[in-house]
Amino acid sequence: MKVIRGTIVSEGEGGVYGERMLNGCRVWDPHRSKLPAAVLNGAPLDLAADMRVLYMGAANGTTVSHVADYVETVYAIEFAPRPMQDLIEVARRRPNIVPIMADVNRPEVYGCFVEAVDMIYQDVAQPNQADILRKNLPFLKDGGTAVLMLKARSVDVRKPTEEIAEETCAALREMGLTIVWTGTLNPYHRDHMAIICTK
Amino acid sequence: MRRYWFGDIDGSECTPAQGDEDRILERCDTIREKVDATFVPLSVDEACTCGFFADREEYLARLRSVTIRDARKKILEAFSEGDAELIQMVRMLDEMDEVVNLLTEKAGEWYLVKNPGFSRKYKSMSAKRMVGVMKKERGPLGKICAEIDGLSNHRAALMRDISKRTDAVMPNCSALVGGLVAARLMERAGGLSNLAGLPASTIQVLGAEGALFTHLRAGSPPPKHGIIFQHRRVHNAPRNVRGKVSRAVAGKLAIAAKIDYYRGELDPEFIERAQARIDVVGEKE
Repeated sequence: MKVIRGTIVSEGEGGVYGERMLNGCRVWDPHRSKLPAAVLNGAPLDLAADMRVLYMGAANGTTVSHVADYVETVYAIEFAPRPMQDLIEVARRRPNIVPIMADVNRPEVYGCFVEAVDMIYQDVAQPNQADILRKNLPFLKDGGTAVLMLKARSVDVRKPTEEIAEETCAALREMGLTIVWTGTLNPYHRDHMAIICTK
Repeated sequence: MRRYWFGDIDGSECTPAQGDEDRILERCDTIREKVDATFVPLSVDEACTCGFFADREEYLARLRSVTIRDARKKILEAFSEGDAELIQMVRMLDEMDEVVNLLTEKAGEWYLVKNPGFSRKYKSMSAKRMVGVMKKERGPLGKICAEIDGLSNHRAALMRDISKRTDAVMPNCSALVGGLVAARLMERAGGLSNLAGLPASTIQVLGAEGALFTHLRAGSPPPKHGIIFQHRRVHNAPRNVRGKVSRAVAGKLAIAAKIDYYRGELDPEFIERAQARIDVVGEKE
């Protein structure tokens, strides 16, 4: 990924959400977005120009717009109507984003729109995150990468983050995935873990 | 046969989907292929070879146009239920309360400085009357207080609007606990469909999330009531039965929300029975 003086940036049309520009590139703030936070914490993540990404939990399209700057095509899934309004607006200006309004728990509804992808990026703040990934795994090519942004407080308020991450990792291994990297998103996002695995 | 948004692919045979985008979306709604180990995701190359599209660029442009149309339709549907606007109205009301209180407080301090001989003590003067007095001040303070007065009038009007709309959107909940409380519960749940999906135990503590999570984390006593407390039968109940009453109200509310969402009309018989039940619980020692 492109880094200018320690700041992660992406190349694309700016002004999506008032992001700062640096040498004509869009600054990708790790405090706002979990993906650059994971990268700064050492996650072995790379977004290549020929990648196709299934992005679950696209929300307002903030992170999606940056991902779309790097990769070929992003299938952005979001369920809530309010953020979807924003996501459509972002997608209108970026022809490589396919916004889909659907529930990530029901891939059979949007299965007819999504092609095989190189990466699944999941940031959904739901209690059943491993399960959601399992349901969507058929979209991922063999050897593809799955990135899970685990919000521990959405899974269980009582357990420590590490314990929840360990449980999730066990569930991921059970479905045949190889865990490549896990790490916290401190100090950018509290109680969050990033899990990267390959199929 | 594999079915995708652009058409069906059966071995080497390709059948394109017919009609305009609305027809295509209607057809997509009938496709519910299980996404499991045998599922084959669509291939854009295949779609192009089949002659549905000239190249990937054209494919994506068409797909985006279809999915954006679909999303727009779904957003419209979600917002046309009437509860979406009600949520915003409730949030505005709560915010206005906050703002009016803060402004009144600040104006009061200012007024005291301008009138060193004045004190509110022993005058039993409500904030509303206080604003009325300060309105007569000359200069910016008076003008600002006139604005505060206007704001609180708007607030009162908004509250009436909310009650009226809640009666229409969720008649049974509204009849059970009053428009404002019903609307606040719905706002906290995130919509009528969400509220209808909640168990009574959750409805009982909606709005007391802080206390609930402290209970779960640190084992403090669980909250007896959240927003429900604002309903008169809960806060007027004697302390020893308040938890019981709150539970009964929540139980009936859970049913009322389901009637509101799935049937959408007032059920006077249910309301009568529910009221009677809640009253019985309240009387018990």
